[in-house]
Amino acid sequence: MGKSSKDKRDVYYRKAKELGYRARSAFKLLQLNEQFHFLDDPNLKRVVDLCAAPGSWSQVLSKTMFKGIKESEVTEDDERKIVAVDLQPMSPIDHVTRLQADITHPRTLNKILELFNNSKADFVCSDGAPDVTGLHDLDEYVQQQLIMSALQLTTCILKEGGIFVAKIFRGRDINLLYTQLGYLFEQVICAKPRSSRGTSLEAFIVCIGYIPPKGWQPKLDENISVQEFFQGLKTDSKNQPRVIERYYEEERNIAEFMSCGGLQSFDSDATY
Amino acid sequence: MSEITELTHCGPSLCVKFFEHYVFAAYGPLLKIYEYKTGKVVNTCRVLKKNKVHGISIGKSGNILAYGARSVSVFPMSEALKKESVQKYENITTEWITSSEFDYTEKNIYMLTCYNKILVYNLESKSIAIKAVPGERSILYSGSIKVFSDDKAYAVAGTVMNGVIIWDLITEKMFHNLTGHEGAIFNVILSDDGKLIASCSDDRSIKLWDFTTGQELTTGWGHTARIWYLKFFDNDRKLISVSEDCTCRVWSVSRSSTGKIELVQENIIEAHQIKNVWGVDVQESENIAVTSGNDGRIRVIDLAPVSRYGNELQSFSLNELSIKHGIKMEKGEMFKGFQPFKFGLIAATSLGKILMFDQISNSWSLLMTDSRLTSYSIFHGIKEENIAVIANNKSELLVLKLSEDGKTIIKESKLHYDNLSKTINCLVTKFDEKSLFILLESPNPNDQLQGLQLSNNTLEIINEYTFTKPKNFTTSSVAIIENLLIIGSRFSTVGIYSLTKEQKECYLIKGINEGDNITSTTFISKLPNALIFSVTSRDGYYNFIKIHISKTFEIAKHEIIYSNKVARGFLEGSFIDENDDFIIYGFKSSLFYLYNETKCYELASQLCGGAHRQWNFEEFNDYFMLVFIQSSTLHIRRINKLKFPHTLSDGLHGREIRDITIRSSKSYKNGYLFCTGSEDTGIRLSYFDITTNEINTYWFERQHVSGLQTCSFISNNLMISTSAREELFLWKLNTDTEDRPYMNLLQHLPTSMDTPDLRIMDFSVKFIEETVDFVLATIYSDSTIKIWYYNSDENKFKLIIGGRYETCCLTNANFVTLNQKLYCVVTPTDGYIVVYNITEAIQFELSESNTLVNNEKDLTQTALPMYETRIRVHQSGIKSMDTQVLDNTLKVYTTGDDNAIGLTIFKLDTSTKKLEGITNSFIERANASTITSCSLFNNNSKLLTTSVDQIVKIYDISNDQLDLINERYTTIADTGSCDTIDLSDGSSRLLIGGVGFSLWKWTQ
Ligand SMILES: C[S@@+](CC[C@H](N)C(=O)[O-])C[C@H]1O[C@@H](n2cnc3c(N)ncnc32)[C@H](O)[C@@H]1O
Repeated sequence: MGKSSKDKRDVYYRKAKELGYRARSAFKLLQLNEQFHFLDDPNLKRVVDLCAAPGSWSQVLSKTMFKGIKESEVTEDDERKIVAVDLQPMSPIDHVTRLQADITHPRTLNKILELFNNSKADFVCSDGAPDVTGLHDLDEYVQQQLIMSALQLTTCILKEGGIFVAKIFRGRDINLLYTQLGYLFEQVICAKPRSSRGTSLEAFIVCIGYIPPKGWQPKLDENISVQEFFQGLKTDSKNQPRVIERYYEEERNIAEFMSCGGLQSFDSDATY
Repeated sequence: MSEITELTHCGPSLCVKFFEHYVFAAYGPLLKIYEYKTGKVVNTCRVLKKNKVHGISIGKSGNILAYGARSVSVFPMSEALKKESVQKYENITTEWITSSEFDYTEKNIYMLTCYNKILVYNLESKSIAIKAVPGERSILYSGSIKVFSDDKAYAVAGTVMNGVIIWDLITEKMFHNLTGHEGAIFNVILSDDGKLIASCSDDRSIKLWDFTTGQELTTGWGHTARIWYLKFFDNDRKLISVSEDCTCRVWSVSRSSTGKIELVQENIIEAHQIKNVWGVDVQESENIAVTSGNDGRIRVIDLAPVSRYGNELQSFSLNELSIKHGIKMEKGEMFKGFQPFKFGLIAATSLGKILMFDQISNSWSLLMTDSRLTSYSIFHGIKEENIAVIANNKSELLVLKLSEDGKTIIKESKLHYDNLSKTINCLVTKFDEKSLFILLESPNPNDQLQGLQLSNNTLEIINEYTFTKPKNFTTSSVAIIENLLIIGSRFSTVGIYSLTKEQKECYLIKGINEGDNITSTTFISKLPNALIFSVTSRDGYYNFIKIHISKTFEIAKHEIIYSNKVARGFLEGSFIDENDDFIIYGFKSSLFYLYNETKCYELASQLCGGAHRQWNFEEFNDYFMLVFIQSSTLHIRRINKLKFPHTLSDGLHGREIRDITIRSSKSYKNGYLFCTGSEDTGIRLSYFDITTNEINTYWFERQHVSGLQTCSFISNNLMISTSAREELFLWKLNTDTEDRPYMNLLQHLPTSMDTPDLRIMDFSVKFIEETVDFVLATIYSDSTIKIWYYNSDENKFKLIIGGRYETCCLTNANFVTLNQKLYCVVTPTDGYIVVYNITEAIQFELSESNTLVNNEKDLTQTALPMYETRIRVHQSGIKSMDTQVLDNTLKVYTTGDDNAIGLTIFKLDTSTKKLEGITNSFIERANASTITSCSLFNNNSKLLTTSVDQIVKIYDISNDQLDLINERYTTIADTGSCDTIDLSDGSSRLLIGGVGFSLWKWTQ
């Protein structure tokens, strides 16, 4: 949205520099965690950071899961593992296994599963965003497709009861996404960290308690689209959308909103 | 029950198509159909319920296929031309439709989805088949389908990463995966002969590929941003492209003798404003193109401006005149001046030859020679009267009146003006219907200015004038308006003399702008006791000046009622055209330009080498004539007026509208004036008519340097706008005339530092009783709150209270008075409503009726007191607020980034004597996204809210509760602003802004 370079040098930008984070986004994850404490779970073992470059979320994950532990001190039988996936290359981070891959590609799933020795993950996050064209509806659709790809991967890799966090843009069709997520998680919350600008439409969905519907077997296949993958998700099969049909109003649910980060934290809209 | 109807919509148009004498343009879910020859709107028809139409195809059988997002619809042309809606035909699919076409029989539809599948369905909405190539399901940004016959049809698909996939949709076989581009592919098409593939991408290039071999043939560079759409025309010999860079470019597909194919850029047209041209189509029979853009404009472009009416540009050297036209020229003889006439042109040479150019026969002839006019001469004329005036520097003049065809001299007058020994300037203008006026200026600054009034018929002197010349005055333009002589000078100064009075002293308007030459002064309109004229200045400024005159033509005072600066180069002149548009012309770098300033588009341009040369420009009935000298050669460019309208729709802003304000205190003509402030840094002053619902834009104010934050009328004739860099501008509106309103920058607020970086997020104003002075509150992105006093006599802002809330950004501010106290209600991004009681801090008193009284105290700056009360209503930033004071209570309506809306009521606590608030009504999940704006209307009994989820809601608030009574989808994306007005018939108008603009009607 045409931010001047000066604009970027806000408090969070400077604070990230100070604390050695690669991007100011780190605070978004930290503030989400302040509210939801998903990283404070001592049993957290396997986490996946999708769309991770340049890696500030991975840095946060590494710091919280391996508090003060050096990479050399980690024992063989330690099950804790962080996998970071991005199209772009990423410089190394302690305790983080990097994977340069496309999250929309089915083969990426297998690579992650391999790294986890076929065990399920406890937590998946995705901070991905495609380039924008300026066509609002197309941009929103492509963003949602990226989330759906992340979700597709997540449904194949996340343990029951696990948590999924992803970046969203609250546009016209966001409630269609909330509805979809509602079929897979116990709780879907739209969270906005204070480090995310109020002037931007950015927010995060925090999906708690993964419960795949009974009888639904998620399986990735090169030849099926994201849409087809999620078909059969709705419990009443009568309402399955056909490939094409007369226009109808789709079900739209509004997720609960939660502001994260506490009022004492800095306001990203402020300039000094 | 209450009802909402959409009256007018203006927003991005994603695609356009010619069909016969129509242009079909998609506006969101609507299809607007124009007759392009007249610009008439034939019909506006709703095609889709919510989705935007991204593409249309028109079949031979008279069916129209329209698609966009996950919707597709096929409907008869006859219905589209007449009906209000064809929405009943809309179908919805499971995936985004990248492109769609009829099959060869036109009984079925092919749809290419963003996962590179082709869905085939018939007109009864039955799915017939799904076609795909195995393994290729990567997401597409673009694609198209080309049908050649029953069994020959191809899909060309552009992926998000580099690839162009070509496949046969009948056999489901892939031929090529072309990987030459970098980044996303935004459009890919097949030529009509099926031999070439053209693609464009994120990398700003266009590539041509051989369909058979898949070989990359050539790359076309030129666009300076992403390219969105391509189209072949002229039997695949040409390609037209449109881009994010606002231009439309024409390329020729040239084949060299060796068979090598190249893309040669032939023409660049700046078609739209700020950003993004989305659609283009070509009408080959007329050689015109039509483009549609993010600014909502539909532009008609002449693809053959130079060749359409024969060769428009002609060039002549004096040598050529000797050889071809038999006029003997001496060595070193040069063109010294010229004047266009209806028949062609009169020119003078450095040896005093007077030449005539006949534009019908394209021939030159020698009319006469005047040996006095050697070396130095100044050439002017009155084109309507066929009169040419040529002067030398010794006050010698040659005045010629020519016959209709220019071939004979009807009258000739050689004058010597004895009062001046030397002249450095001679300017000519029309005096009245029967005479002309010549102004002579001597190089001696103490000499007076001399004027001659000459009869048009006899060329005899009717009257002589002398005018005292002010100091430092050098004439640069002249005009006579209603017995007033208006002379432009250097240093942006204008001098006015009354011609009827004996005493010819000067009324001076000094230093109007920074200080370049005045290039023109033009009559605009006449009022009882006043005149309005426009002034252009070489440095790009133009002004409209109103002078107040008595019956005896005494000038009482003047007022600059409008001032603006053109975005381009030198400004040489202006006029009002037949559509009442303000047209300007001048030079930018090496070009001469002609620009419609009201509608913001270029009418024509001509390469001429720049401003420093002899030139002349005149308007005639159906063309303009530009004459200029370049490299000793005389060039005549005829700029023919396009026989079609230049725009079918004018459009509004190039980017999001951030705020809207209606001048609701007073109507204008048969409707209301309103301003829109946009992310594109401009403010538009527009008008909507309450009967026709038409919207008319008058001005585009360019004074802000960053995207607008707010704009709001504070009275009948004052408006304030704010943006980043601490910009707050006070504008004065002038609506004396019906031809157009004027709005001029009166003052700007002092900033806290030289290079301010803060945003002024909002402001509020409270007038001081019986004056036009006011108190102004401004709130900033660093939590600062400032209160100012504006003194209208001095036109000055004075800071009277300053302070800070906390550290977070502030978003809204409103002054309210209650119980003889002045409060400033502020909302920050922390979700609180914060109420400051500034009654003590401010040095004005409040009367019993809660108005501010000026008690003539010395104004010293005081500190902002601690807030009196605050209450947390929202979880995160409050986006908008409206307030209402009723029965000793203050009601605050707030909307938030937390998707919620609240009504908080403040009452005076009798024990603490302070305001205490409780949130009376709060709706969580009122919308699915940020609720960006709100406005009370219908006598403050209803509240309108807009949200980024594009659902506009109306609440009844009469019971101190938020009761939802209406909700309606708006096509305006990034919905961010609104304003409302109650009309006398009980209905209200709702204006909704975002990426585009909508005018709605609300009735009980
Ligand atoms: C906003 S950045 C993520 C920042 C990161 N969370 C951090 O804190 O450093 C978005 C990233 O998404 C990645 N991305 C977008 N599409 C992707 C895809 N299909 N597969 C993998 N990564 C993708 C981009 O390469 C980009 O690095």
